[in-house]
Amino acid sequence: METKRTPKNIFVQGAISPDKIAKSIANHSTKTDIGGHSIFLGQVRADQKEEGKVIAIEYTAYEEMALEKAFEIREAIFAKYPLSCMHIYHSLGEVKSGEICLFVFTSSKHRKAAIDACEELVEKIKKEVPVWGKEILENEKSVWKENT
Amino acid sequence: MIKVKAFGMVAEKIRTNELELQYMPDTEVLLGFLHQQFPDLKHIKFSLAVNRKQAVGKTMIPLGAEVALLPPFSGG
Repeated sequence: METKRTPKNIFVQGAISPDKIAKSIANHSTKTDIGGHSIFLGQVRADQKEEGKVIAIEYTAYEEMALEKAFEIREAIFAKYPLSCMHIYHSLGEVKSGEICLFVFTSSKHRKAAIDACEELVEKIKKEVPVWGKEILENEKSVWKENT
Repeated sequence: MIKVKAFGMVAEKIRTNELELQYMPDTEVLLGFLHQQFPDLKHIKFSLAVNRKQAVGKTMIPLGAEVALLPPFSGG
């Protein structure tokens, strides 16, 4: 059965709450063909920079392009792996250190597809989706983050 | 006209996140103009997107296009 998919909003204002993650897991209990979930959670790290300690990251995005790109990535991953479900959420605005800024969730009949798809998704999101993080330091200075 | 959107460090350097410029035929001409207008841009790394597609090398700019100046991504 083919289902037509359209671009979804992946952005969440501020941090992604543990409650949202718990609810998202619970929402899958009716999908009883699923045998494995894989979840990646990105958390803001309190890095010690030369200029000071990171207390938060302020995220901005080229939203229109980011949603198109996320949709393309999503379609490619769905084509490559036998997944039942895929969810991507990314924060915009300020996320404090210790809080969650990225939530990637894949589900499939068997674990391998869910795990591999989740990993590939995270790599692609970090590399290809136009989002920028500005690290806010405790002394009110800021540093533009660069993905490695 | 071309609408130019700037993000992240690029927006900070040129002190705006949106510019309206006279029409320019391709990304090389546009980059030349931007480097002349904003010399600070010469020292930072960024790529271009034309109508929300990443532009690799010299790319034609359609009339009324939206061009974006994208510093290296750092999401997640």
